[in-house]
Amino acid sequence: MQANGSKVWSPIQVFAMSDWKDSQNSDGGWAYGRGCSWTEPTAFVLLAQLAAGIEDGDKAGFEAGLRFLRSVQREDGGWSPQPGVTESTWVTALAALLPEKAIGEKRTERAIAWLSRQTGRESGWAFRLQQRLHGNDEPYPEAWPWFPGAAAWVIPTSFGILALERALSRSASSRLAGRVAAATEFLFARMCADGGWNHGSNRALGRDGDSYPETTGIALVALHGAPASQLLERAKAAARRHLASCRTAEGVAWLRMGLAAHGEHAESQFRVTPRTTVDRALLTLAAAPRNPLLMSST
Amino acid sequence: MLAASAAALSLTGCAKSSGNAKWTPPRAPVSNVSVVKAPAYNMSVYDTIFRMVSDHHLNVRGKRIVLKPNLVEFDPNTAINTHPVIVHAAYEAFRRLGAASVRIAEGPGHRRGTLDLADAAGYFGAMPKFEDSFTDLNLDEVAKRDIPTPVSQLKSLYLPRTVLDCDLLVSLPKLKTHHWAGATLSMKNLFGLVPGGVYGWPKNVLHWAGIPETIVDLHRLFPRQFAIVDGIVGMEGNGPIQGTPKHAGVLIAGSDVVAVDATCCRIMGINPPKIDYLRIARGEDQLGESAFRQIGERIATVKTEFALVDPWKGMIRA
Repeated sequence: MQANGSKVWSPIQVFAMSDWKDSQNSDGGWAYGRGCSWTEPTAFVLLAQLAAGIEDGDKAGFEAGLRFLRSVQREDGGWSPQPGVTESTWVTALAALLPEKAIGEKRTERAIAWLSRQTGRESGWAFRLQQRLHGNDEPYPEAWPWFPGAAAWVIPTSFGILALERALSRSASSRLAGRVAAATEFLFARMCADGGWNHGSNRALGRDGDSYPETTGIALVALHGAPASQLLERAKAAARRHLASCRTAEGVAWLRMGLAAHGEHAESQFRVTPRTTVDRALLTLAAAPRNPLLMSST
Repeated sequence: MLAASAAALSLTGCAKSSGNAKWTPPRAPVSNVSVVKAPAYNMSVYDTIFRMVSDHHLNVRGKRIVLKPNLVEFDPNTAINTHPVIVHAAYEAFRRLGAASVRIAEGPGHRRGTLDLADAAGYFGAMPKFEDSFTDLNLDEVAKRDIPTPVSQLKSLYLPRTVLDCDLLVSLPKLKTHHWAGATLSMKNLFGLVPGGVYGWPKNVLHWAGIPETIVDLHRLFPRQFAIVDGIVGMEGNGPIQGTPKHAGVLIAGSDVVAVDATCCRIMGINPPKIDYLRIARGEDQLGESAFRQIGERIATVKTEFALVDPWKGMIRA
């Protein structure tokens, strides 16, 4: 802080502020690139501003971003991916990861209630019954789909875990704790043979699927609270291998956050090019000393 | 715990829709399909594709064209993605024919970094200022479209504005076998139009609504199409990702994409009526060899049998 109380911004903070200010739409939200505002980039920009401590550098812009997000929350408590879509989806978990003081206590509660009602279609009674009739008694742990009515996948499940953990830090709930445990089981079950994660299809037609950098990093962030285990060690080893060769901003940012969530601070040897607003926000989150995705609710 | 991993198999594409079956395929006129030998990805491909497009007398002057390649995975050493030379040659051909605009657009089904994927596939190197001509369909603006008399369980879909607003959609798939659909060609390539920003990665709602049926519904939503299939090096076996590159040395093109895909199947040694989405789209009796007029090579001269995985072996072989 300067003597008069105003902050001294680092060059990177100044750059991030001007970049996001310039690209903010008139409705307060951000697009992935150009065009209309979407929930995902807007939520990540706001989280990145919090992580970099620059939300008060452009208070009006930050508030406008929150206003956009509030406008996209639907009657059912979930968030639609953008204003033109009349369905709540996985992005609800991202909105629920913003501090409840910022987004609103009631809004966050309704978001968590919506998330707690969502599961992958495979864990619903109709699919399980159908599978049993075919002699398949496998468990289908409850996890989260991208879009209601579809199966659960790694990325929405990872953000679902983080959002429910945030809610659990505010008040205990055996139902929510059960969902977190089941979703954690789902993530380990969908781990690829190489120790990382892809979108969630780890084996098809008798062949192992390869893991991806970004999904490996995201799953590791979600598993930040998991007890030490051989599986987790294999996952971290996979993340290190990916980081040594990954050349995408999204992949590098998530791998760094994933390893950092387990106390390991790693750098990429490559200069990566951010392609989207989300990429820029993720790189900021990865470079921040504290990751707001992992903080308890304030 | 690990038991659930096997379940993933059944969630990524095995779900079969009962379909609505209200829609019946119309009787189609005999359509032209171009089949031209193209031994390698070299400069002669530019002239070949220009001639193939010209042969079909498309009225593209002043029109907005969208080219939809198939970008799937980061692995330039295999035959997963449509080769950049095919995309650039099509881009140049439509510009030469007077199109008002030509955009390249794709929405990959598994990977979120579409521009990174295009870069790794060699698109940035093949096309100057590629980024300026490209739209990521996963993140484009969307509008909701009802599906009239759907054959799948879907009633409507959000679709990208870039594609809804174009005058001609040009599908640029790779010639590949597919472990869930039998073959992935011009019609299946349209799964990439469905926005991941709305439905996620993968676009799993399509799997639950029935893969062959949603392929047909998507096809019917876009009546103005053309297809150029990259069959110089295709993929056999466990496609669309884990298969083996297969040199076939052929390009296939036409305005009737069902006819194009049926012809591609014959070239790969697959019986078209055995592919569910072709049979639903056109009816079994309209998929015979005589239903289409071949321009260029006869199928016998370019036929290259592609290996098939179970359960397709013995089910779809011509």
